[in-house]
Amino acid sequence: MFLSLSRRRVILLVVLTCLLLVTLDKRGNPFIDRTRSAFGVVLRPFDAAVNAVALPIERAWNGIADYDDLERENEVLRDQVERMKGSEIEAQSTILEYRELLKLTQLTSRYTFETVEAQVVGDSPSNFQNTVEINVGSNFGVAVGMPVTDGAGLIGRITKVFTDHSIVLLLTDPEYAVSAQVLSTQDQIDAELPPTTSPGDTTPSGIPVENLGTTTTTSTTLAPDPLAPIDPNTTTSAPATSTSTTTTEVEVVRETGTLEGQGAERPLLLRFVDTSSSITSIKVGAIVSTAGGNNSLAPQGIPIGTITRIISQSGSSTPLVEVTPNASLKRLNFVAVVLYMPNNEAVGR
Amino acid sequence: MRHLLFGPLLRILPVGCLALAIQRMVFADHPVLDVKLQFVLALVVAAGVGGGSDRGAVAGFVLGLLYDLSGNTPLGLMALAYGLGGMTAGYVQSLTPDPQWWLVMIFAAIGAAVGEVAVPLGEAITGESGWIGRELVVIVPVVAAAAAVLTLPLVPVGRWMMGVKRKKWKAIPE
Repeated sequence: MFLSLSRRRVILLVVLTCLLLVTLDKRGNPFIDRTRSAFGVVLRPFDAAVNAVALPIERAWNGIADYDDLERENEVLRDQVERMKGSEIEAQSTILEYRELLKLTQLTSRYTFETVEAQVVGDSPSNFQNTVEINVGSNFGVAVGMPVTDGAGLIGRITKVFTDHSIVLLLTDPEYAVSAQVLSTQDQIDAELPPTTSPGDTTPSGIPVENLGTTTTTSTTLAPDPLAPIDPNTTTSAPATSTSTTTTEVEVVRETGTLEGQGAERPLLLRFVDTSSSITSIKVGAIVSTAGGNNSLAPQGIPIGTITRIISQSGSSTPLVEVTPNASLKRLNFVAVVLYMPNNEAVGR
Repeated sequence: MRHLLFGPLLRILPVGCLALAIQRMVFADHPVLDVKLQFVLALVVAAGVGGGSDRGAVAGFVLGLLYDLSGNTPLGLMALAYGLGGMTAGYVQSLTPDPQWWLVMIFAAIGAAVGEVAVPLGEAITGESGWIGRELVVIVPVVAAAAAVLTLPLVPVGRWMMGVKRKKWKAIPE
């Protein structure tokens, strides 16, 4: 017999204590939360000591092994920055217009909320959790459920908050889900669809093409040059001043669904709410952003990623849509916590 | 029981905190084949192979609790998983009181594999993400192999931590 009586007692005691602790913690226990917070403080000098020893060794090794790669990467990044400068100005003016519109229509978006800048100070030590630790906590107004972004887009949500640090669950974790919307303009779709469709045509799922759910938005732009050739598709409104205003109708297809993580290194999976609408017209490359709404974990308009693959499922009219996040989750450094408080139902409390 | 819990506790806590810091600062940032090697688990199985399954279970419980306190897992989950890992590795002491190095490595690998598999299983049972997928096929062998290698230098640390004196005699006289 492998186990003597005393051994059996020890092992039984260990198992029972673990089960008791798991039960207490899952039900939410303030004492355990306080202990966790205190242990974070206890662990800090140990972390600092290990870092002080490991960091110079790591840097020396990186200097020897990765110098050429870093130099090459640096050049590529410089090029990228130069190219992005132009599009940034354009994007900023669009954001300003968008914010103005939101203000007029009294809608909320990510721009309505304040953000708190933070730095990623630690990665999850476990293989089974996609989390990172950031250096802001309740002392900065951070609360459980708040979305976290970096320069490129959404990265996750806050799952645990301590006084001076918080844990962020990354959006690749299978436990993460957020309502998302796919936005693509009709011309983007037309470029990839067969050139003509006649009345009575249906999508592969049997939906008449003319019934596809579309949203029509109207964008108004100031024509900078009055002598510029006029597009026959545009209509000119009567201007009060000498500046002419052209109005272009842009048809935007908007589809909402739930975006779920599938684990690190795997793309996100988008499941549509309405399986019988225009999802068949959504193409690879379309932009995915947060949908917002009363029960959403994030306000509307935070970019998430782009559609990289559409897989048709046998026996189902709804394809599986894979989305690659914009943010590079392996290289997180500076992030921003959006001080948007989702309701308790969304947080799961 | 008393000597098991209170005797080595003073040594387990600082050693455990240091091991945890090494895990968080070094091993979490340098994955091998996209797998984060588990230094704390290696220390647990080292305590198990050096001190037997009861000491392995206690070491796994305490170090697992520290792991839970530092992370996002429910308190007791890693303690249970690592306790099982330490206990499994400790069975080597039931086979032979003076195991050869290769036997130590084999049991360390088995113990580490049990400990690592128990984590997603426990998560699934407690309603966490329950990430049991094809990733396990890569994660478990890598973690087990790393633990087998790390255990050899960690066995003396594990013995000291659990207050186990090294045997003065040999099972087979030379």
